[in-house]
Amino acid sequence: MTRATAPAGPRERAPAVTSSSPAAIPLRMYFFLQIALSGLATGAIYGLIAVGYSLTFMTTKALNFALGMWVMLGGMLTFSLTVQYGVPPLVALPLILILMLALGAVAERFSVAPFLRAGSDVWVMSTLAVGLLMIDFAEIIWGRSPTPVPSFFGNAPVRIGALSILPQQLFIIAIACVVFFALDLFYRRTLTGKAFRAVAHSGEVSALMGINTRRVQVASYAAAAAFAGLAGFMVVPLTLAEPQMGTVLGLKAFAIAIIAGLAAPRGILVCGLAYGALEALISGYLYTGIRDILGFSLMILALSLKPEGLFGRPVEERA
Amino acid sequence: MILKQTGTGLAAAVAAFLATFGAASAQDVKIGYSGALSGPASFTGLDIKRGAEMAIDEINAKGGVKGRKLVLVSRDDEHNPVRTVAQYRELVERERVVAMLGATNSASMLAVTPIVNETLKVPVICPATDATAITENDAAKAGQDNYLFRIGMYGTGQANFITDTMVKRFGHTKVALLNWTGGWGVTGRTELQRRLKEHGLTPVADETFDSNDTDMTPQIIKIRNAGAQSILNYALVRENTLVAQTKQKLGDDTPYASAWGIAGPAFWKAAGQAAEGILSSTTITIDGPQSPERLALIETYRKRYNQEMDAPTSVFGAYDSVYLYKLVMERDGVDPKAIRAGLESVPAFKGLIKDFQRPVFTKERHNAITEDDMIMTRWTNGKMLEIKYDDKGPYVDIDDKTKKYLDKKNLALM
Repeated sequence: MTRATAPAGPRERAPAVTSSSPAAIPLRMYFFLQIALSGLATGAIYGLIAVGYSLTFMTTKALNFALGMWVMLGGMLTFSLTVQYGVPPLVALPLILILMLALGAVAERFSVAPFLRAGSDVWVMSTLAVGLLMIDFAEIIWGRSPTPVPSFFGNAPVRIGALSILPQQLFIIAIACVVFFALDLFYRRTLTGKAFRAVAHSGEVSALMGINTRRVQVASYAAAAAFAGLAGFMVVPLTLAEPQMGTVLGLKAFAIAIIAGLAAPRGILVCGLAYGALEALISGYLYTGIRDILGFSLMILALSLKPEGLFGRPVEERA
Repeated sequence: MILKQTGTGLAAAVAAFLATFGAASAQDVKIGYSGALSGPASFTGLDIKRGAEMAIDEINAKGGVKGRKLVLVSRDDEHNPVRTVAQYRELVERERVVAMLGATNSASMLAVTPIVNETLKVPVICPATDATAITENDAAKAGQDNYLFRIGMYGTGQANFITDTMVKRFGHTKVALLNWTGGWGVTGRTELQRRLKEHGLTPVADETFDSNDTDMTPQIIKIRNAGAQSILNYALVRENTLVAQTKQKLGDDTPYASAWGIAGPAFWKAAGQAAEGILSSTTITIDGPQSPERLALIETYRKRYNQEMDAPTSVFGAYDSVYLYKLVMERDGVDPKAIRAGLESVPAFKGLIKDFQRPVFTKERHNAITEDDMIMTRWTNGKMLEIKYDDKGPYVDIDDKTKKYLDKKNLALM
């Protein structure tokens, strides 16, 4: 990356850190780090949604294409509970997760399972249809105007050296890391997690080995919905609550899942964070208008170079 | 028994029929309104309706227009131009309204403008829609009768006003643009670029953002690094909330001036303290010291609708429009063509948005609010205070007694 090409005539203005100014860092470094840091928060959200695509792809080779709308549902529920009914966020979160788990399982039952059984690919359309229905219902229930949801930690920025970040953004990055770490442990250390991986590898063999593949499949869709709900819960103070809040997020998360490799949950966090930072840097050094063009072109490039994803392993078919 | 029941039903039907006709007798003068009464823009749409209702009730309580009652016939166009067009036809051709209040959506007004001028020929005063071409339309250009009037901000004028305020009033020559990539932001950006160019300036940074962005850090830092003295913007509450939060996070105090998309309580509700110091251009603010007439209407609104105004520009715009119609109708009669012509020759008018000491409209100028009438406001502790100027510089009235001057550099209170 060329150094600070875009900022025409950079002036030597120290980052406007008010009182107790921490050790000053060179302006160019500040520029880079501050932009990248804020991008990481956006990337963490992408990663958290993207993991949902991965979960269901691993168990069924199918996806809930409308995860962005599920993010929206999580966000709108957060709005209803915390703002409209005054439920404390810590109480609201488990309620939302339980509801999302249940709805995810129900949606799988109607919009995915019948088609998987029939060996058809109609789930592409049916999951999308469920998402569009969710937007319509959300517009009827909550209206279309964006409504603010106060950040759970206030708006006073957190200082990291000369850099600053909103507490909500820091929270998002932290939670995403915790979730991925826990998921990694789950896949590697727990019996259920191993069952997931077994089903991912081969449903038929797993069934023969006594694993209830059907249950694993439902669980993966429920979990994907819950992760989307969690993402919605965390991002809604930044986007404001409105029925379209998740659409683009879901799309970008999908790109990240593809770039990382749908069967590579570990890589998804890395890719999510990297994509978020890259997007912000493109905005900062080049131009916001070409951000998505570059981002999605990169996805196509990555796919053509490594179809299984940057972190995916080629499937070895053993005869 | 059956007969008796039928008889009662029939009587009820006749009564209902009579009641319907009784509500709006042939003697009544109908004013039409089609706008968003549901959906996201309904806060504007309802406030137009309410402003009109309050004015009409006041007028009727004092004997109406030469003894004839005013009646508002309103329709919900759901912010959808297709519905607006259909409802305009219905209101004029079936309901026989003699005058209209403009819709909530510029696209709606642009769609009905040619139909109004060529076929319906009923005057329309727009309180909320700002697309320049609504009033500066084909009929106006061809020198034909133009039925479209406006008592709100208009595109070109607003962009000029925002730019001129920052460049001329505050002396900022290094100006950055930061605009939304949505429809309104795109036209706004072009207008701002044009005006800067007319001042011989090029923006030191020209940034954009999308609706679904969750952070504006790169744009703000880039603008700051470009040495901008102020930032001009066209966007709505949602995007500007993010801008405000990001600016606050980065400790950025570059003055930020936005068009009237954030000129209402919704912005402070969304952005809170982060909105402190942000500027918004508008036609009217109901914060800070107010005239007794305005205070009375604010109080009436509060009592009648049990809430505070969401869109004061719309309430007062509609309210003043109805009084303008009344004035012209009493002078020139209630024929739509006469009302249209009459609006072009109102020499002075004491409205609540403004006390017009000059013709409200002229044949060439169908925008009541000119660049000189627009006001710049500063979000100050939850209130949108008008920025005024005297020899010592720009200031705001915090209340009747406290006057605070602004630092021209960062627009902070001194």
